[in-house]
Amino acid sequence: MDGREKQILRLENVVRDFGGLRAVNHVSLQVEEGEVRGLIGPNGSGKTTLINLITGIYKITEGDIYFGAKRISGLQPDVIASLGIMRTFQVPRVFRDMTVLENMMVPALSQGQTKQEAKTRAEELLEFALLTRLKNEPAKSLSGGQSMLLQIVRVFMNKRLMLYVMDEPFAGVHESIKGIILKTIKAMNQEKGITFLIVSHEMTTISNLCPRVSVLYRGGIISQGTMEEIANDPLVIDAYLGGQ
Amino acid sequence: MQTFKKYAVLSLLLLISLLLPHFITDYWIYVLTVAFYYAIMAAGWNLLGGYTGQFSLCHSTFALIGAYASALTIVKLGLPLWVGILSGTLLTLVLSLGLGIVCLRVRGIYLALITWAFAEVIRTFIRVAYEFTGGDRGLNSPYLFRSVKPLPYYYLFLGLTVLAIILIAVVMRSRIGFYLRAIRNDEVAARAMGVNTVRWKIFAFMLPSGLAGVTGAFYGHYIGLISPVLGEFNEMAMIIIFVVIGGMRTQAGPILGAISIRYLMEFLREWAEIRIVILSAIVILIMRFFNGGLMEFLRRAGGWVRKKDAVSAYASMGEK
Repeated sequence: MDGREKQILRLENVVRDFGGLRAVNHVSLQVEEGEVRGLIGPNGSGKTTLINLITGIYKITEGDIYFGAKRISGLQPDVIASLGIMRTFQVPRVFRDMTVLENMMVPALSQGQTKQEAKTRAEELLEFALLTRLKNEPAKSLSGGQSMLLQIVRVFMNKRLMLYVMDEPFAGVHESIKGIILKTIKAMNQEKGITFLIVSHEMTTISNLCPRVSVLYRGGIISQGTMEEIANDPLVIDAYLGGQ
Repeated sequence: MQTFKKYAVLSLLLLISLLLPHFITDYWIYVLTVAFYYAIMAAGWNLLGGYTGQFSLCHSTFALIGAYASALTIVKLGLPLWVGILSGTLLTLVLSLGLGIVCLRVRGIYLALITWAFAEVIRTFIRVAYEFTGGDRGLNSPYLFRSVKPLPYYYLFLGLTVLAIILIAVVMRSRIGFYLRAIRNDEVAARAMGVNTVRWKIFAFMLPSGLAGVTGAFYGHYIGLISPVLGEFNEMAMIIIFVVIGGMRTQAGPILGAISIRYLMEFLREWAEIRIVILSAIVILIMRFFNGGLMEFLRRAGGWVRKKDAVSAYASMGEK
């Protein structure tokens, strides 16, 4: 037994090129089931590109990505979502002309739930996220923070959710909304065993939330460990302060 | 209560439509029958261009294909009318499947250009293959009914309009409607939420196109002489105008737009080309003041009436 049976996500030497630019450079990463893993790195280090590769929005140039024992590199985003990997976007992407409630129902309906089941579950989650009073409002009327919150809770409508990849979930949101997001992540991880891979620049939040953190710089993983370990890693210090 | 009111209004409109022919001349029955044809075309395009955001410029071409396929099947192969209509419908479904696959990776102006090019290819082919299709001289299409009176055709197209409205309403209220609207809003996010955008974009192409094909087939057997004019760009532009004026992404808007504008154009027929100027002015005014078309105008008018009633009720309470 090599421990792989506990790995929910495994990247093996993943490369992504955009023409002459190598955005992801031989990344190997393993995330264990039930983990809340942080992924940090300076701007332009390839974090969002890595998320897009995991979730199928971009195709990998080289390497492989596994979800459990299943190879997912090359699969379409909707197929990857149906397997149980969902994500949020750095700039919230909600369906602006649909109501908040309708937004919530989309992932459930695409998984085969009935409209009534989807509506009931959506209302429960909206209550948890304190968005009930906005359920019949068009999503375009939400503030930035509310859109981020909607985007985040919408993912939990997928009952098969096992791995949740979040791209900058705390960016530009008010402390009250950040509190709801943190509460949601902790509850879903502890109660449902959902694994999280969270990209963020908020070091304090990541430090409190993530027992293990991976650092990406210029498309490659340069350090992994606890926040304390990586904060003292000379490679990480150089990456953030310049010099490499 | 709202649902009851809605169904009451719809039932009243249907009743009026059923009884109306007995109070108007054959000429206006003909006008309304043609208006029903355009209402179905507009409702179909609204599903593709309005709800799904696929701005196709070949919707009227599928009506053209349906009309020609049906007429040629009957005239050249001697097959029954129902086989002709079926073949017209099937051909449009097959072609729209192919076109839908081609258009999967394009949107916006590029989708418009590809669909316009498809429309021109089909129309030009029909014109060039004149030994087979009759070209610009047109092709005789056998009449559907033995009678030359417009009344049976009126009820046929009224029935087709009602069926089209019901079909589109059922689709848009179902999970498919959620998928189509999500795709229009943000296709990338829709995929990330598990929506099979490939399947549903192709569906959004095929359903309206099939509807256009069967409607075009029936229309050909109504007017008796079909020509490439049915697929000209003006026809497509009119369909889009009907949808936009009526109210894009509403279920009643395209129907309201098609019938009211067709009626207006007939009413202004004596004004010849000036009616186009008048129509253009109406489009500008509606777009400027009621972006959501006539449906928005009616919504606002209804809100104004309700507010006036509420103010009157409040004032009369004060007097007591």
